[in-house]
Amino acid sequence: MRSLVRGLEGPAAPPGSGRDLRVDLFRGLALFCIFIDHVPGNWLGLLTLRNIALCDATEAFVLLAGYAAGLAYGAELDRRGYSFAAASLVRRIGTLYVAHIFLFVVFTAQVGFSAAALDTTAYLDELHLDVFAEQPYLALLQALLLRFQPAFLDILPLYIVLLLLLVPMLPLLRAPPLLLGLSAGLYLAVRLADVNLPSWTGGGWFFNPLAWQFLFFFGCALGYVPRRPDGRRGRRLTLPFHPALASGAALILLLGGLASLISQAEAEAMALLPEHVAEVLSAVDKTGLHPLRLLSILALTYLVAHLVPVGAAWVRSAPLLPFVLMGQHGLPVFCTGIFLSFLGRLALELSDRWPMQLGVNLAGILVLTAVGVIGAWYRLRGSGGRPVPAPESVALPTRAASLTNSGP
Amino acid sequence: MTRRSWPTLLLLVLCLAPRGLEAQAPACGAPAELLEPGVPLPAVARAAAAGRLRVLVVGSASVLGPGTSGPEAAWPARLEAMLAARRPGIQIEFVVRGRRAATAQDSAALLKEELAKQPYDLVLWQTGTVEAARGLEVEEMVETLHAGLEQVHAAGGDAVLVDPQFSRFLRTNSNVDAYREAIRLVAAAHAVPLFRRYEVMRHWADAEEVDLERAPREARVAMADKLNDCLAKALVVLLRKAVAEARAAPAPR
Repeated sequence: MRSLVRGLEGPAAPPGSGRDLRVDLFRGLALFCIFIDHVPGNWLGLLTLRNIALCDATEAFVLLAGYAAGLAYGAELDRRGYSFAAASLVRRIGTLYVAHIFLFVVFTAQVGFSAAALDTTAYLDELHLDVFAEQPYLALLQALLLRFQPAFLDILPLYIVLLLLLVPMLPLLRAPPLLLGLSAGLYLAVRLADVNLPSWTGGGWFFNPLAWQFLFFFGCALGYVPRRPDGRRGRRLTLPFHPALASGAALILLLGGLASLISQAEAEAMALLPEHVAEVLSAVDKTGLHPLRLLSILALTYLVAHLVPVGAAWVRSAPLLPFVLMGQHGLPVFCTGIFLSFLGRLALELSDRWPMQLGVNLAGILVLTAVGVIGAWYRLRGSGGRPVPAPESVALPTRAASLTNSGP
Repeated sequence: MTRRSWPTLLLLVLCLAPRGLEAQAPACGAPAELLEPGVPLPAVARAAAAGRLRVLVVGSASVLGPGTSGPEAAWPARLEAMLAARRPGIQIEFVVRGRRAATAQDSAALLKEELAKQPYDLVLWQTGTVEAARGLEVEEMVETLHAGLEQVHAAGGDAVLVDPQFSRFLRTNSNVDAYREAIRLVAAAHAVPLFRRYEVMRHWADAEEVDLERAPREARVAMADKLNDCLAKALVVLLRKAVAEARAAPAPR
């Protein structure tokens, strides 16, 4: 499996010159956690980030998706110009859209199957879950317009809009302060004015792209590697290590962890939570990426980036390689994960005891690893079977828009 | 043992057995920790002491007992009957307002309407199911609940929040956990007990005590009746504990 991992091909790549495997690892972990969190009733769901922090795998995924986009499309922009980079971005958006519609069809079939299996008509009389049965033509139209997003099918539409927003912003990758300033301004305006894209079932999108774009563009700015006039690669935007910043970040995470642990506790422990703290926590919304959630993921990123060295041996260790591979093939792994989560839900609906729990999670990790392996194998064969690419291009994907490479 | 004592013994066993079981499981076997109120209900304690308890139930369809044998089998009606049987000296008045597909905002409107007519000692507010099923915005529900609970407290009453019912179908096809967590935090923000109906019903389903979704078609009405009866029993336990807490430590509000 080692030979399939990008950035591990060379026997000893000098640190700093190759691909940052930490990003791949955490992206892979986030993808696996998204699979877990998309299977309600999964026991592993009690161990994911959302239980111990105010943020969860969605935040990690969006930040790292931004990182990957900044890396891949920033390189395209520098090497082949804006039109080419924008065109490959649009191609990628097309792929995502088709993937989303495919998953929507699978979801509809799954709801139909479980409604028939459980015969829930009397029980769920009050639920308008079955909008598809009530108005199938309209539901399909609204799904195509991304205005109808069933539960758990809300990340891809977010991602699609985020990439769309990146198209006009691409040149600003070279001016990070301007990019982040505009993005933060939009974030603040959207939060203050309470603006969201409309949803057919009422209210707005579950993930408001106009607010989440800040985290995405932050990732883009971190991922972009500037190109110096002599053609060599410059340095990435980094926030240097500072004890005050690090302890601030640790404090934020500690308080957030405490708050989320208490809010899951039994009634008696919950009564210890001061009323105004509970009120603040109840207002921490995921839809508009509440500042506390944003702060939590940024603090987590800062600490992880500084505490895990770039060349950390454990990142390259065998047990974690599957996750690195998953992270390097983000889109197919993400889509397969959502697809598998539908099957996992049906399985847990039949039985949610431990044999089924074990089966669902093992199957999940095996299939997602297999998708990563196949993607890597295809890439290697596609590049003429050369396991060691030229050192200069190690970190720069050659065809950013293809489905199987490391694009977002 | 003489032959004659057999019928006596049998009678004794018949009389004692159900009562013995009931003492073991006052709420159909729901774990006691799920029925801990965590906070007292002083207004209910005062009303009980004064001999008149006015209760308002608002929510969506489940307050009307869909699928049961009739309106008197719905959990609010069962709760009223149980409270009346337990405390015959108290004059108990129940008003139930709810309709199919009512969101928190719809319930809040009903609440406002009723509070304008007369004050209530206790408001049972069932919420979250419709929001989860339709994927409505969590923050909107949270804001509505905050405002509604403030109204109840301003009118001098107590409130108990009731979260969505457990269902495998709901768990599979909606993001119900996000709404449940928000409801828990709202309850904590107003020091209001939360009846964790979802967890209680999940326990019953796991223990195969009450499981509406797995009931065969012909047994479904009986199962719905049992579910509503068990929910009322569980609420009795929670209310009893919260009133006892209020008596033990009469906290000034």
